Amino acid sequence: MPAGRVLGVIVIALLIAALFNSQAIVRAGEGMGQGTTRDVVLSIGRPLDDVAGAIGFHLPREGLDLAFGHDPKTATGTELEQGSTAILRRRAAQRPAAAPDWRQPTRDRPLDLLVTGDSEAEFVGERVVDQAPSGLLEVSTVARNATGLTNPAFFNWELNAQQEIAARDPDAVIMAIGGNDGFNVEAGGQLYGPHDPEWQTEYARRVAVVMRELSQNGKRPVYWVPPPTARDDEFNAIYKSQNRAVAQAARAVPGARYVDVYNTINGGRYSDELKIDGRRVLARQADGVHFTRDGAVVPTRLILRAMARDYPALGNRGGP
Amino acid sequence: MSFPTIEFAVFFVAVFILSWALMPHPRAWRPFILVASYVFYGWVDWRWVLLLVSSSVVNTVAARVIATSPSPRTRKHALIAAVCFDLGLLCTFKYFGFFVTQVDDFLDSIGLGSPLPLVQIVLPIGISFFTFQAISYVVDVYRGDTRAASLGDVAILQAFFPHLVAGPIVRANELLPQLRMPRDPRTVLAGPGLFLVAGGLVKKTVVADELARRVVDPVFNDPLAHSGAEVLLAIYGFAAQIYCDFSGYTDMAIGLALLLGFVLPQNFNRPYLALSLQDFWRRWHMTLSRWLRDYLYIPLGGNRHGARRTYRNLMLTMLLGGLWHGAAWTFVIWGGIHGTALSVERWARERWVGFRLPVWLAWLITFHVVCLAWVFFRSPNLSTAFDMLGQIGAAGPSPLVTLPMVLLTVAAIAIQSLPSGWWRQAEGWLVRQPVAAQGVAFGVLLVVADAAVGQQGVAPFIYYQF
Repeated sequence: MPAGRVLGVIVIALLIAALFNSQAIVRAGEGMGQGTTRDVVLSIGRPLDDVAGAIGFHLPREGLDLAFGHDPKTATGTELEQGSTAILRRRAAQRPAAAPDWRQPTRDRPLDLLVTGDSEAEFVGERVVDQAPSGLLEVSTVARNATGLTNPAFFNWELNAQQEIAARDPDAVIMAIGGNDGFNVEAGGQLYGPHDPEWQTEYARRVAVVMRELSQNGKRPVYWVPPPTARDDEFNAIYKSQNRAVAQAARAVPGARYVDVYNTINGGRYSDELKIDGRRVLARQADGVHFTRDGAVVPTRLILRAMARDYPALGNRGGP
Repeated sequence: MSFPTIEFAVFFVAVFILSWALMPHPRAWRPFILVASYVFYGWVDWRWVLLLVSSSVVNTVAARVIATSPSPRTRKHALIAAVCFDLGLLCTFKYFGFFVTQVDDFLDSIGLGSPLPLVQIVLPIGISFFTFQAISYVVDVYRGDTRAASLGDVAILQAFFPHLVAGPIVRANELLPQLRMPRDPRTVLAGPGLFLVAGGLVKKTVVADELARRVVDPVFNDPLAHSGAEVLLAIYGFAAQIYCDFSGYTDMAIGLALLLGFVLPQNFNRPYLALSLQDFWRRWHMTLSRWLRDYLYIPLGGNRHGARRTYRNLMLTMLLGGLWHGAAWTFVIWGGIHGTALSVERWARERWVGFRLPVWLAWLITFHVVCLAWVFFRSPNLSTAFDMLGQIGAAGPSPLVTLPMVLLTVAAIAIQSLPSGWWRQAEGWLVRQPVAAQGVAFGVLLVVADAAVGQQGVAPFIYYQF
């Protein structure tokens, strides 16, 4: 076949794919890091999506999503995108008793634990399986790579939390997320960058919204793990702000627990390696943010220690 | 840059147009395809391109010395220097961390502290593949199987983007002559090219990623929390997943190369139909198998020095093949299982000459030995692998064993038994359709593939990590 005809086939195929997948193109663009590629993809994808949506080209793809069992992960008008900071001002009187009535795990009836979040959740999920006392936890790990709370146009965690909870109804949740949250956020019609104090408040509000969905107002505990210290100081400034925001949100939402890996691990100082049980291990991946599988032992211990306060049977094995 | 992405789609259309436009002008086409390949490779981190360039330069110089020096001693030294450089590069990036940890632990255990720095080294994607190609090139020049080529040609041989990241491992005498041959833009092998790209995409997105997400990953992450039925489905599911993931990538690589006018060697030939382990290795990752045969097994002595040496060579080859995947005991055991099975097979063949197992039994045994080895290959550590095997008999509810997942697993394995003539007929039928119809069919397939993946995006190909 002549090259020109092959090109025709390829171009027609890509055009059809682009028209019927325009929402996916916009989402892919939203999920890219800041830069020219993202700008180009979005500047083409958004108008294309408007046209495709007006003609009704979204429908076949939505039908296919349904057929493959994929729930939509973005939505407009959710509280995650826009809402009141009143959620952070919950009065102490509204909070449930200090010792909630959560079912304790036994070997006959282990806890259903959902470990979720961004890519950091992956090794945490694996390590919880390895490090928790045998037979007390049934762990499901669902890592949503490259997602965060500051980019709901790419992945809406409020919506996802509702879907996961409805589908799984876990006894407890570990949420490890935050490494991709450097995007500007809009609050009260203003745009704030991660170094603005308003960004931290808005981030805390978003965390509280997702915490509330996951915990369903204290029905189950949610152990929220924001990022640890990073090699890059610029990331650290954002992560520090996120940690403060999560601490603030956890105080306001029943059942929410802030697991501080930022200030606790290695005294809050970044290091590629850590000494674990007397043995030096390479604890961080080359990006200077993620833990290695060996290094994930440390945050997992902190998480299990936090869990042991609510579930004493989980104690000891996750010790310091 | 990964194949199933928006960036790659745009990149490929541009390369396709310019490549065919420049094809009649080799002096312009060669730098173009080289730069395009470097853009493809350096998309994530441009420093990796420097590594690739340095490998091409060193191996070109060594091959020149080998080809031109009259002294056998000099030629041998040049070969050894090039192979040491190539293996050094591979070991530095792939095994340095593991080596330092082991030495450090040992020194610590004898009271000498932990003096070595633990350094996190990023593994450049595709380093194992382009290093193996470099080694095969200099060895082939040394053996006289191929002529020494120019730096530009060697650079294209290593960097040609369809095969750069995860193979097939191409030999110099397979690609270099094609660089010198004129290609006719009126006779693009569009049927097989488009068919392979489309098929590879479906294998990856509809089969491999679905099986991984819904069965394989959850079970391998926590085997003890799953029933025997789920564990068995995860094991068979992983056999299907890794085949569809890796052969899907290879199909796309070969298909893309065909659309650009180049033929790359076949890498898979319906491997799960194999009736022996030897047969399996003639069908699975065929370009790695022949590399291991020609540059490791035969130089070790092959089967030329008696039965014991043959078994030893088989075992060594497979153990090193396992280690090629990474410095982990799981890969060593994977290689060990294959090495042992190959040796036992050979021994049995020589012991009972003429005896043949019934075809169904030979298939059953071969397939299950391969699956047993996959358990170790997939597990993050040995305890997970043993948990998987120990859990096979466990009773309990099996919510992950659903009809769609069972059917997908069976279909991915059973589809290999379809006659290859059927595929060729389908390719022929496809290219006879009008351009618009072909475009629509291919476009619908892209939409379905993207819908299958859903919002989490295409998972990285398994062999990217090697």
